[in-house]
Amino acid sequence: MSDRRLGEMSPLTKIVVYGLLIGWSLIVLFPLYWVLITSVKLPGQVGDGPDYLPFIDFTPSLHAWRYIFVDLGSDTFRPYLNSVIIAGASTVLAMAVGACAAYALARLHFRPRLLSIGLFLVCLGLGVWMIGSGLVGWPIAAASGVAIFVISVLALSRVRSPRLGNSDILFWVISQRILPPVVAALPIYIMFQQIGILDTHLAIILTYTTVNMPIVVWLMYDFFAAIPIDIEESAELDGASRFRIFREMVLPLAKPGLAATSLLVLILSWNEYLLALFLSTARAQTIPLLVAAQNATRGPQWWYMSVLIVIMIVPVVLLTILLQRLIAKGLLLGAVKG
Amino acid sequence: MTVVLDRVSKSFGRVEVLRELDVATGDGEFLVLLGASGSGKTTALRMIAGLESTTSGRVLIGERDVTQVLPKNRDVAMVFQSYALYPHKSVAENIGYPLRVRGQSTSEIDRQVNEVASQVQLDKLLGRYPRQLSGGQRQRVALARAMVRRPAAFLMDEPLSNLDAKLRGHMRTELRRMQHDLGITTVYVTHDQIEAMTLADRVAILEQGVLQQLGTPREIYEDPANLFVAGFIGSPPMNQLRGRHENGRFVNSAGTIDTGLQRTLDSVTLGIRPEDCRIVDASQGTLTGRLYALELIGDHVLASVTLDGSTPQVHTGKTDAFITADTFAVKMPKDYSAPIDARVDISVAREGIRLFAANGERLRR
Repeated sequence: MSDRRLGEMSPLTKIVVYGLLIGWSLIVLFPLYWVLITSVKLPGQVGDGPDYLPFIDFTPSLHAWRYIFVDLGSDTFRPYLNSVIIAGASTVLAMAVGACAAYALARLHFRPRLLSIGLFLVCLGLGVWMIGSGLVGWPIAAASGVAIFVISVLALSRVRSPRLGNSDILFWVISQRILPPVVAALPIYIMFQQIGILDTHLAIILTYTTVNMPIVVWLMYDFFAAIPIDIEESAELDGASRFRIFREMVLPLAKPGLAATSLLVLILSWNEYLLALFLSTARAQTIPLLVAAQNATRGPQWWYMSVLIVIMIVPVVLLTILLQRLIAKGLLLGAVKG
Repeated sequence: MTVVLDRVSKSFGRVEVLRELDVATGDGEFLVLLGASGSGKTTALRMIAGLESTTSGRVLIGERDVTQVLPKNRDVAMVFQSYALYPHKSVAENIGYPLRVRGQSTSEIDRQVNEVASQVQLDKLLGRYPRQLSGGQRQRVALARAMVRRPAAFLMDEPLSNLDAKLRGHMRTELRRMQHDLGITTVYVTHDQIEAMTLADRVAILEQGVLQQLGTPREIYEDPANLFVAGFIGSPPMNQLRGRHENGRFVNSAGTIDTGLQRTLDSVTLGIRPEDCRIVDASQGTLTGRLYALELIGDHVLASVTLDGSTPQVHTGKTDAFITADTFAVKMPKDYSAPIDARVDISVAREGIRLFAANGERLRR
């Protein structure tokens, strides 16, 4: 056995490790390559069998690309733009609201009374019953529900009641995501129909924000809690307000977490199919819907689908490459004694 | 500016952390809060800063009652044990942050930062980031950030505990000097009695939330108020003998000591520091025993003696229990030597005797 430095692998180990890594890379990257070459195949060639090498097995053609971009033109561009707007806006909103909620849960101490929570549920049920019974319109029902809740909480403010804590609130927020969103698709549809915003960007943005916010809270809570509280206390003593501490200390130090979480939320929104299917018809159609729409009566048109998939993947891949450095960087080195 | 804790108590739920703490500093005084972990010293400091609320009592800075005032409006600066430097800001930005928050102009901030940086020898490091600094340098940045505001009081939470021993000794001197030059009231928390003795104008010793004694280093060393203080201050700790007291004499299985105190007590503890004892020739001393061990400290020899009649004791510390022979420590000149297990006699200087009642309270004449 030749002398080796500590940590250096033997040639055999190197072969095995690199072999595994290359093998796995092929497994991951091959489908992308397959989609790419399918997009330059003629319809007949797609069904011919596994031909993977352009110019050798088959002659590539740009007919599908031409169809999607030129013939369909705005029919492709509009869903693409919709996806960009909807995914972008819902990510920003979910991050903004979720990050503030996560920070509040990490640093402030909430002790809501069980009594108040019970009153809220009662008033919620009351409002629902009022709407369901058709006695009043929904604005009046909502307003009176809120009013009754406020009055009853104030009236019973002196009554003693067991209290819950931050961990309970956190669990409740996260548990919103345990319910598959599709279960609520029909109620959401009816709600937007009543308000009259079906098939608009706003409806889908609101839905995605609501669905993704628990994930943001869940992930960002850990990142915020991991920031040494000393730093925030020191800034507090130096004279900074709570909001200033959040803006100047916490957010910069949580940048890796913010980048990772926003990327995740963006991907979720970008790829989302089911809720977009329910809530849009023509104007607010997103790219996943367009991809699925290539499944015509004659069978799936893989060539058109592949083109759409390629242009759907590209922005997300670019964004991931851009943010990956930020995610990998360790920003907390050297702050605390360590 | 003085800092006053007026009968301050603090409980976290049912756990009482501080009980009726009553401490007032003088203007420009260096006050040390000394105690083991769990004694409540850090909680007391954080209450002065405003990072913890009081359960009862008041906190005053100068003449102002700041009990309900937010930390940022109390005009105190704190140096944390971990330094709490802002990792994404440079040294200059760290030091200048308090001024920037207060809205001072950039030129004014630069001037003051440079001034303070040169006072702590950081002027060459202003562009660096905390992760590029050594422990001692980071500590100086934390100090500079506190100094730049010229606050009413400095609060320091064990700032030297993360430094190596040599640097610690050096920084102790520097800290003392800096505080003296600036004349700013400082409240300093530590568990290290040597730090307390060397830095403090006065020391407040805390144990389990209760103030044991407030006095100058000399007072707490020479004139401890109770058994806890006597055993906590001094290295090696004060020797403690249990026995009876009658006819002006302390009686113990190891011997009899004249104290001159005219009281009769069934249970009393006699304390005497190692430097107030001497191993003498046989039958010349008042206590007898066997030599257990000799340690050459350098400028003196520390002799440990098992006194006659003492039984192995079980000592229950905070983290473990161990059995030792109950040894009596005597400081001898550095050339002293004797065979182990030899019989020895110990004589005791009368002015070094401290007597404590059964409840630990110091008995004065």
